Amino acid sequence: MDQQPSRDETFPAASGPEGSRPESWLVCVSPTSLSHPLIRSIHRLAQAQQARWYAIYVETPAHARLPREDRERVSQALRLASQLGAQPVKIPGFRVGEEILAFARENQVSKIFVGKPYQRRWRRYFRASLADYLIWNCGPIDVYAISGEAEAAQPVRTRWPRPQPLWANYALAGVGVGLCTALAYALFSYLALTSVAMMYLFTVVIISSSLGRGPAILSSFFSVVLTYYFFVPQYFSFVLANTEYVITLVVMLVVSALISGLTARIRYQATVARQQERQAAALFEMSQNLTARYSLDALLAEAAQQISQIFQGQAAILLPDPEGRLILGAGNPIPDYDVTEKIVAGWVFRHGHLAGFGTGTLPNVRGIYLPLKSSSRVIGVLRLELHAPERPLNSESLRLLEALANQVALAIEREELVTQAQTAQVQMEAEKMRNILLSTVSHDLRTPLTVIAGSASSLLEGENHLDKATKQEFAQTIYEEAKRLDRVVHNLLEMSRLQSEEFKLHSEWHVLEEVIGCALAQLDSQLRDRPLHISIPADLPLVKIDALLLERVFLNLLENTAKHTLAGTPIDITCRIAEKDLEVEVADRGPGLPPGQEEKIFEKFYQVWPGRTRGAGLGLTICRSVIEAHGGRIRAANRPDGGSAFRFTLPLDEEPPLDEYLPDETAHPAH
Amino acid sequence: MKPRILLIEDDPQIRRFLRTSLGVQGYELIEAETGNDGLALAASRVPEVVLLDLGLPDLEGIEVIRRLREWSSMPIIILSARGQERDKVANLDAGADDYLTKPFSIAELLARIRVALRRKLPAEEGKPLPIFALGDLKVDFERRLVFRGQAEIHLTPIEYKLLSVLIKYRGKVVTHSQLLKEVWGPAYTGQNPYLRIFILNLRRKLEADPTRPYYLITEPGVGYRLRDE
Repeated sequence: MDQQPSRDETFPAASGPEGSRPESWLVCVSPTSLSHPLIRSIHRLAQAQQARWYAIYVETPAHARLPREDRERVSQALRLASQLGAQPVKIPGFRVGEEILAFARENQVSKIFVGKPYQRRWRRYFRASLADYLIWNCGPIDVYAISGEAEAAQPVRTRWPRPQPLWANYALAGVGVGLCTALAYALFSYLALTSVAMMYLFTVVIISSSLGRGPAILSSFFSVVLTYYFFVPQYFSFVLANTEYVITLVVMLVVSALISGLTARIRYQATVARQQERQAAALFEMSQNLTARYSLDALLAEAAQQISQIFQGQAAILLPDPEGRLILGAGNPIPDYDVTEKIVAGWVFRHGHLAGFGTGTLPNVRGIYLPLKSSSRVIGVLRLELHAPERPLNSESLRLLEALANQVALAIEREELVTQAQTAQVQMEAEKMRNILLSTVSHDLRTPLTVIAGSASSLLEGENHLDKATKQEFAQTIYEEAKRLDRVVHNLLEMSRLQSEEFKLHSEWHVLEEVIGCALAQLDSQLRDRPLHISIPADLPLVKIDALLLERVFLNLLENTAKHTLAGTPIDITCRIAEKDLEVEVADRGPGLPPGQEEKIFEKFYQVWPGRTRGAGLGLTICRSVIEAHGGRIRAANRPDGGSAFRFTLPLDEEPPLDEYLPDETAHPAH
Repeated sequence: MKPRILLIEDDPQIRRFLRTSLGVQGYELIEAETGNDGLALAASRVPEVVLLDLGLPDLEGIEVIRRLREWSSMPIIILSARGQERDKVANLDAGADDYLTKPFSIAELLARIRVALRRKLPAEEGKPLPIFALGDLKVDFERRLVFRGQAEIHLTPIEYKLLSVLIKYRGKVVTHSQLLKEVWGPAYTGQNPYLRIFILNLRRKLEADPTRPYYLITEPGVGYRLRDE
């Protein structure tokens, strides 16, 4: 009558044609202890044959009535199968055999394996087993029955489902039938016997749809008995006046039993559908929410919050720190004094196995611990502490929790992969940068070094026959090239300092003239033959700048100009106040910039004419970094009447601190 | 007798270069590789000037300066690398007399040594000059008059005081805080912007081209120095 997943005896396996491409196999899981060895042996076979395989369990209404250990056994078997590489499948249904075959056909399964517990011969004739059904209906699919030992299967059968009946429901059923009887009795003078039977059937329908299967059967039985006693002549006795009434009563019994069975089925299916919908919705929502998060922290927080909500508890996600100790990633922390909880969390992390409250492993803690498994390893632990520990999670909820944990693990893994990819990208960029740096720097360092070494060796060799002027020129060359080398090195240092994370401006109120003067003093030998036009408004206020950095800007701009223009051509430095900015221009009368390169020249290591001039291509990059750090902008342009101009701005939005008392009468620069 | 100079420097190439260059110039150079050796030599050989490198293997430069200053006022010239401006100020405040940024020319070093040796002479220390002359510039301290060439320049009292302090330490770097303290008083240390404005005004009065100063040299991030010769 009920479609419990019976694993009875079977016939020798049928054989059929085998496909040449990777086969799909199907293993039938049952609530017996046979399932584990069955799954393990199929795993070995599947590995040898390189077959894909499914582990299937058909969840019938009877499943809900199984003892807790048996349901747990099913979950464990499915988990084991999934760990061993199978795809676990759990489908709801009424007829186990039908569902299995339908699934097998849909998925082009070529072999079905089913466990065969020992069973006495006589029982065969009373119950068609699952294996029998499969063999009779399998068509081209091979069915293998793997036998188990009698002892292995026996304990399960002795503990076969005896669900706790809900006495209140039976009582209600009794009351319902009683009310129906009272009503029927009151109206009996107006009613025919068929109408009375209809009233009883109606009652049975109501009871079976609202109170479940047991009370329904009870009420159908009572209905027949009461009809027999009260409403079938002879009234108030179990004596039948007419044998015809036997048919009425038998039909009534059969119909009400059928109705109660059918209604219970519909009820069960509705429950299962609701549950599946709830799980699917939860999973969907979770995956939606997790993919929308871009940082790991936000993702973990979201997951913990959502799991807490679904299961009405406190969820926490624990992740290992670099030393492998679990620390809180998100959610509610485990209190520090709770050493046992932490030990269980650690155990779950190391073994990758579900444990904790309400499970078979280490149940004496408040939290349920699930491993978060990525494709290769355990990456963390999910902890859930229920608000209502008196109602532990049933196996469906546990399965949902596991599915959610998988989602979280996947999301974490995805996040880690993204981070890894980004790091790799950054490293690649850095590597590329380093290579360019090394090649340009080695060029830039080697050129002056060549000149220095050459001049010094000439001095050494020609000690006796070089005249004084030549010696002087060599020495001068060495000195100037050494200075140039020093500037290259300084630029490199400055660049790395500007790009380091600790970089901070040391701004003070400065006189711009002084800063320009320092730069000019350092470039004395290069600018000696250049007419310099410096125009600074006499009332220029103090500017808040990092003078050492701004000096580098002037140094680089001036040195650039000296490098790219002919000796003797003038250089103009002009400062003017434009609204809230100070605008500074360093301009020359050289060849100008190639059109379209006005932005590019500020890029690191960029050279307008590669190899033609010296300098690591860092000078302008440093200028831009410094000016932008000051909140200004730097641009390059060609002058309309020839030459190039570098213009930068410095904001003048702060008032210099000059309104204070000044202990002298000519405090102000303007006079 | 040759003036004796103690060089505390761990790099052998720099020691070699200075030994040769200073030897030619008529100085006796004694060398120490570490700060502790240097402190011992300073006590046993009593040099007239100490050249101190800042990147010593055993002691921080500032530590060497402090320990030397515990018992001696011998001039200390720091040899520092670029980008150590903040260290320079700290070292000068701790008692160092002057600094040189690597790479430096031997001419610069000799100038610093000459200034240091001159300040060591007891007759020079604190003695007011009647007249100071440098290039076009002439300061008559007795009459409190300043001339550029033949023309008299009018300085405000503070400008005059600023110039006198710089002349007192001519050739040597004077930090911002030292100048502020000596010209305005201890309450004004840290008021660097004021100092900059006064220097600018002074330059506009003294220099031919104030953007390319000849007399009043800026030591970026540290202070000012009056040209010595």
